[in-house]
Formats: sequence, structure tokens, C-alpha cells
Amino acid sequence: MSEILAIYRKEMKTYFNSPIAFIVISSFLVITNWLFFDYGDYPFFAINIADIRGIFDYGAIVLLFIAPAVSMRLISEEKHQDTLELLVTMPITDMQIILGKYLSTLVIFAIILGGTLIAPISISFVGDLDSGIVISSYIGFFFLGATYLAMGLAASSFTRNQIVAYIMGIVIIAVFFLMNGMANGSGFIATLFENLSIRFHYQNFFRGVLDSRDLLYFISLIFVSLLVSSTALASRKSK
Amino acid sequence: MIDVQNVTKSYGAFEAVKDVSFTVEQGEILGFLGPNGAGKTTMMKMITCYMPPTDGTITVDGLNVLTESMGVRKKIGYLPESTPLYEEMGVRDYLNFIADVRKVNGADRTRAMDRVISVTGLSKVIHKDIHELSKGYRQRVGFAQAIIHDPEILVLDEPTTGLDPNQIIEIRNLIRELGESKTVIFSTHIMQEVQATSDRVLIIDQGKIAAQGTAQELKASIAGQMHLDMVLRNADKSKFIEVVNSIEQIHLEDIKLQKNGDIEAALKVDAGTDLREQLFDLAVSNKWKILESSPSSFTLEDVFRKLTN
Repeated sequence: MSEILAIYRKEMKTYFNSPIAFIVISSFLVITNWLFFDYGDYPFFAINIADIRGIFDYGAIVLLFIAPAVSMRLISEEKHQDTLELLVTMPITDMQIILGKYLSTLVIFAIILGGTLIAPISISFVGDLDSGIVISSYIGFFFLGATYLAMGLAASSFTRNQIVAYIMGIVIIAVFFLMNGMANGSGFIATLFENLSIRFHYQNFFRGVLDSRDLLYFISLIFVSLLVSSTALASRKSK
Repeated sequence: MIDVQNVTKSYGAFEAVKDVSFTVEQGEILGFLGPNGAGKTTMMKMITCYMPPTDGTITVDGLNVLTESMGVRKKIGYLPESTPLYEEMGVRDYLNFIADVRKVNGADRTRAMDRVISVTGLSKVIHKDIHELSKGYRQRVGFAQAIIHDPEILVLDEPTTGLDPNQIIEIRNLIRELGESKTVIFSTHIMQEVQATSDRVLIIDQGKIAAQGTAQELKASIAGQMHLDMVLRNADKSKFIEVVNSIEQIHLEDIKLQKNGDIEAALKVDAGTDLREQLFDLAVSNKWKILESSPSSFTLEDVFRKLTN
């Protein structure tokens, strides 16, 4: 555990010693709040209904571009600076390295989540928000972000180039996000694609219901992504 | 302390290390000498558990690098060839991070930091960021990182590459100093370096051990042998070759015909023979004129060149 925290502390220092954390957090909040309050056919101020679903709809798309920006450097930078060789020859397992790095991105995301609370808090003063739906939506949004970040980390573990990691991350997330639109009808393939898609499971959280199948879906995606990342690190061990 | 038995490492069809065996005793400084691409780095990466051997076994203080990797890693301090550093970190932050992962905590941490800063002479730059440091200081930070947990074994991959002559001497002194209490393996392609620092030399070429022993032993294998470079005028090349080949103790290494017809020959003379008079007489009887005759003794460089082509 102390190894995981050592990696975590180092990553947090890197995020906050550079403008990365500030840029990522502020751009997400500015863009998402602007989209929610003042954009499109039904901006919040025009429809006059105490509903914050827009935050999570727009947020899912904005995060698709922001999350890979947070995770892109995690492994690719270590490869590029040759520090990975030092890291993996210290007494720490590949999975501990991955978990420490992943934990740091979750904390960045938690700060983002905290920032989005401005909308529900301010709206609750002027209207009647359904707190059950707000809470379940936030849980859904947390798992969505956690999944994006894990996928971005996996993308980062395959290349020494951060830009490649970023684009790869976006593509992987987008494929999983939009999978339910790839097959029509009610056949086996269509059902399979729907059940594999992030959007399908994500939407369920807005009904105010926590379904263990949805939670299990996101947790499995996170688990597989972290496993893939750790396996990519271990590729050096092939005889 | 380190036992390498019949180790082979292949990258696809290419064998970087071929059936290599050697041991390093506790407290010994072993110099790994070889041309670039000889397999030195590959060997070190296997000892430090970065990657496994394709075949054979490596044990470090009795621990197998494959099955007891974590135990091995704790015992080793490793400075890879590229001197891996986090550019954006401060020197102190960087060393703290390494100490963190290596679980050097509390009062031990404070002591360890003071020790490595004084041993590697980092006190002047300890508050700087790593990207501001010169190559020499970067190398020292790399050293500091490798010894922060006071390991029993140090593995240093080309620790002096890219440094200026003063820095090279400083790093060599550092290796000798650390070698007094630790087992050290370091690699280099510079001959004087192993002569200056190591107890034992292992010459590796094309993935195989070409020779091993102390610097003295390797020198003894060629002791007394001499080079003799000659330039002759009015000599016939084929006649000269014939004459030289007729003398058992002389071996013709190279012969060139200069533009003006002079012959330039490089000869190797066996130990314990002085053939200068004989050669003089031969030249006179054949009416050759000796323009130059310069003998020189063999050096370790010659051993290295001979063994590694």
C-alpha cells in the first residue's frame, strides 16, 4: 500500500507543480457549465425547470476529451524519459505502479466533481431538485469518469508518445460510449452492443435508480483497463 | 554474491547474450568491458530484474531474479545507461520519491538523504529542478538515487559516458569509494576505466565472454609481446614477406606499399626475443634501408581490440 501511495504522491506533485491540473479542471468546469446554462435549444435559463441532467449529458461528452488529457502522460512520459526502467526495477509491482497512478487521476476527477456541485447547490436555492436523482446521477458520473480515466491510462501504457496516447484514449472511450448506435433492431448483436455501451448504462443513473448491473459494468471496464495497463508494462518480461 | 549461469537472452532471432556464466564475489568491483552492442546493457537489465533471461539462471545473494524478484530488487541499486530522471521534479523531491518507494522512512530517511547528498556532492544543487542541472550533476543525482537505500550491490551502466575528464575522474573515485563496502558491477567501453577502478575485468563481445581476470592477469597474457612498426626503402614486398615469415618469432600483422615504393610494415614480436640486430643484418644483406623502426609494448587496449576485433 505504501508503494501505491508513493506513486500517487509523486503524480499529484507533477499535476499541481505544472499547469496540467489547473487547465484540465478549469476547462472542464467552464465548458460544461456554459453548455448547461446557456447553450442549445433548451438552455437551463430558458426552460426554467429545476433539472441538472444537462450537466451530466454535456459533461459526459466534454469529459471524453478531458479525461484522456489527464491520463495521457501517466505511462507514456515514463517511457519517454526512460524512467520506467528505474521504476520497474525498484521493489514495487507493476500493478502497484498502475494503481498509484490511477488513484491520482481519480483525485483530480473528484476535484472536478466537486466543482460541478455549484450547479445543483445554486439551483436548490431557487427550485425543487430531486435529491435522489441528483445523488444517483453523481454516482453515475463518477463511474463514467473513473472508466474514462482507466481507459486513458491503458492507452498511455502502449506508447511513449503522449499525443498518440491522447488520441488513442479518445477513440477507445468513444467506441465504448457510442457502441449502442452501431447496430439497430432487437437481435442478439444489437442487444450485445447496447449492453456493452457506456451510454446505455450511464443513462440508467438519471432515473434515480442504482442498478447493480450498471455498477458491475463500469467496475468491470475499470478492472479490465487496469489489467491491460499492467500487462502492457509486463510486456518487457517476455522471454 | 551474483551468480550468472549459462544465461542466454534473445530478442526474436537475435541473440544479445549467448550462454554466459560468471560470478561476482561480495565486495568485488567488476568491470564489464565491451564495444557498444556487445550485450553489456542486456546483461545488466537481467540482473536488475528489468527483463528475464531466455535461458539460464541468475541468482543474487542466493535469490533467483525470476522467482524472488522483489528480494533481489531490494538489494540492488541500479543506475541505467540513460540516467532516468524526472525533469520537472526538484532534486530533493526526486530523491524523496525514490526513498518513498524504497521505504526508507522517518529518521532513516533524514540520515540517508544527508549521506547521499554528501557522498555525491549534491548540496549545491539540492534546491534546483532537475532540468536545470548539467550532465555531471544529473549523473550524480542518478548515483544518489542508486545508493539511497544503502544497497549491498550497485549496478552501474556506463556511468561515465558523456562526462568531461574531470567529472569522469570524480565518478571513478566515487565508484572506488562505494566499492569499498559494496559489490559493484559497472560497464564501460573505455579501457582505462576498468584499469582504474575494477578488481576484475570481464570482456564481453557479441554476447559472449571473450576474457576475464584481473587487469594484471589480462596484461600478463600478452606480457613481453611487442609491436614493431617499420618503414623500409628499396625493399621488395614479396621478398620482405618471405623473409619475415622465415623468422619464427615475428608475425606480420599488416603491410602497406607507400606511393613512393617504401614498405610500411606492422610486426608483432614474441615475448623474450630481441630481433633488432637480426633485422638490421637482414636489411643490410638485402640492401634495404631502414627509415623507421619503432617498438612499442602491448597494452590492455590491444587485448581488448584483439579480443573484440
